Amino acid sequence: MSISVGTYLPPWGTSQGRVVGYDEDALTMAVEAGRQVVDAGGAVSRIVFVSRELPLLEGGNSAPLLAALRLPDTLEVVEQLGGAPATLDAILAASAGTLVIAVDANTPAGAAAALVTGSSPLVLVGRAQRSLPQRTRHADGQSFRDDDPRLLRESGVRASMLSLGLQEKPVVIAGLNARDAASWSSAAPPALPTLGASSLIFALALLIEGSRSGMVGAMEQATLSVANFDAAGSTVKRHEPKAQKPAARKKAPGGDIKLSLAAYDRAFKSKVGWHAGKCTACGLLSTPPRYHCLGCGADDQWELAPLPRIGSVYTTTTVHVSVPSLESPYTLAVVECDGTDVRSLMHVTDVPAGQVAIGAHGRLVLRRVAIRTGVPDYGHAFSPDAVSSQEGGAA
Amino acid sequence: MRRVAIVGAGMTSFGEHFSRGIKELIPMALGEALASVDKGMDRRDIGAAWLGEVGTTDGFGAGILADSCGLLDIPVTRTENACATGQDIIRQAIYAISSGHVDVVAAIGADKVRDTSSTSTFWDWMAQTRDMAWDFPLGLLAPANFALHAARYLHEAPATREHMAMIAVKNHFHGVKNPKAQLRSEITVEQVLQAPMVAEPFGMFDCTPQSDGAAAVLLVAEEHVAKYTDHPAWVLGFGLGIDRVMHQHKRDMTSFTCTVKAAKAAYAMAGLGPRDIDFAEVHDCFTAVELISYEDLGFAERFKAHKLVEARDHYVGGRIPINPSGGLKSKGHPPGATGIAQCVEIFEQLRGHSHNQIDGARIGLAHNIGGPTAASGITILGRQRS
Repeated sequence: MSISVGTYLPPWGTSQGRVVGYDEDALTMAVEAGRQVVDAGGAVSRIVFVSRELPLLEGGNSAPLLAALRLPDTLEVVEQLGGAPATLDAILAASAGTLVIAVDANTPAGAAAALVTGSSPLVLVGRAQRSLPQRTRHADGQSFRDDDPRLLRESGVRASMLSLGLQEKPVVIAGLNARDAASWSSAAPPALPTLGASSLIFALALLIEGSRSGMVGAMEQATLSVANFDAAGSTVKRHEPKAQKPAARKKAPGGDIKLSLAAYDRAFKSKVGWHAGKCTACGLLSTPPRYHCLGCGADDQWELAPLPRIGSVYTTTTVHVSVPSLESPYTLAVVECDGTDVRSLMHVTDVPAGQVAIGAHGRLVLRRVAIRTGVPDYGHAFSPDAVSSQEGGAA
Repeated sequence: MRRVAIVGAGMTSFGEHFSRGIKELIPMALGEALASVDKGMDRRDIGAAWLGEVGTTDGFGAGILADSCGLLDIPVTRTENACATGQDIIRQAIYAISSGHVDVVAAIGADKVRDTSSTSTFWDWMAQTRDMAWDFPLGLLAPANFALHAARYLHEAPATREHMAMIAVKNHFHGVKNPKAQLRSEITVEQVLQAPMVAEPFGMFDCTPQSDGAAAVLLVAEEHVAKYTDHPAWVLGFGLGIDRVMHQHKRDMTSFTCTVKAAKAAYAMAGLGPRDIDFAEVHDCFTAVELISYEDLGFAERFKAHKLVEARDHYVGGRIPINPSGGLKSKGHPPGATGIAQCVEIFEQLRGHSHNQIDGARIGLAHNIGGPTAASGITILGRQRS
């Protein structure tokens, strides 16, 4: 009866909170948070991906999510549109082995994952599904906002809280701004880095770290879910690098980067899952996989083998000129994977352009390399260790 | 095998030919090459032609050559081998002649880089030379493609950006005298170092300009040479080297393996070594490429190319003059024409008529490298038959 929590905050931020990098979206953030749990050995049998910023409404987010987490493509993935209450409900309903990943890709941005390892440690107290659409977002991406915060406070938050007839205040309520959270929480509420789907898991993480059990609330506009949480036995692993000011980049006008969907398909598993082709005859690793082994000459005898997702820079350059449909400046690096002689060309991420030197060591992380003819093209990028070593806390 | 010599060579000026299409530039270059033949040549003597063209500005290249030059009754082939295209069509012409199938071949290179906007051209062309799934979306532009080598070279060798800059300064100095050159002005090391950055360590003045132009050479079988000239440029050797296409597969990026392979083949065929070369036209699309190539071509020991630069051995009058034409940096770089134009310069040097004449020029080497640093072509020409 516990959960393993993993969190991720992008290394960019303003006074309004964390901001996604130019090469990130809800899917790459889901992978960052999910890897905190999955890489530690958590056994996953099902995924619920909760966000209001799912990258694709049609075309599928599940396959790249599973591939990048190196999970079998036979798993069920629920793509759940929602905010903090949806995340709470997903964990409430989760059976053992369910990984709930919740992502907020709009500012304040963040992602968090919770792997339920027994029965769910949450027990429902009450739920209020109420309509007060102060903010709306439509299928075409257009959004509208009502500018009366008092209306939401009175007819939304207050009315929903009272409707549950709670005997005491929750210890924490995710999804509320600091002022409302202070009014409706039992003690000084902890500051949460996000306000949407991921905020509920960030709240649970704080309770786990403080060995504190109690009532938690999750609010989105006028909709509220409340549950009792037992923190015993749960764990938290955070990847929350220090925030830096978003780097200035210039996007040149121009056509988009052409896509060959057939080439995308051929490269998908090795590129998104970061796998080499391994010759089954002599063991030579090739990236990308090759038909004819240059080690022993075997033809078409290879299987995919996972590569280490750490490595160091063999050579690098930073492109300053503007390139149609790319954001300049950007840094390219040839990175050699630790313990192998496999190298790959990739972008450097998580730091302003031009800040990585030959020999730098880092992690390989999933990023959206480009959007090509409407298709998010995911691949791995190099995140220098200097980023991870500066953990910045939840702010 | 029959020996082959160049008996005529000509080129358009390189630069922005906004008012001329490839259909004008190709016959201009051929016309000048035919006019350069000492004893005259009728274009009906030409038995086959190759067009070296990297982009396709106005459609079907082989047909355009035939149509625009009045060569409608001979076989014409377009070849694209990235920036090594120029030396490669000479290689194919030599195959055709030495096999006995043809006696006279026109090898014409042409490109119109400036028919597309300066920002989009090389991006468009990248689609031809990059892995579509892995490399293309990363924005591995031509300068970045070579900069990855240069950065590693500067990391391992004692050379600095100043040495790279000195190469640009030298090539501009040479180019001032070349009436066909695109950038005919001298520059200083400070100007090179302070120019806006393109792809580190290349600033704008480390890079070739974008150019339009065409160049042509006329190659002839040995027994017919005397009919056209008493002063041919004999083909002594040639080589084409290919390397792995993805940078991650190049184990040592301080060297261009394709150049090393092409040089080995060309020297072996000519029975010559680097010390026998009097001067060379070296592919300086980016300054560090010329620098590294000194080592790959054997003109300098490994990691000692900067010494050659410091001694000014690469100037006309020095030990091994490099790019008396001004190189790609000053003369310009319409890729299909570039290698042929190098041979135009060597032809003129060997005949003692260059705008920038090297005393005692007997043997010259032309070198191209291109694509994802994966194709290199080399041709060695000499005043004597062997």
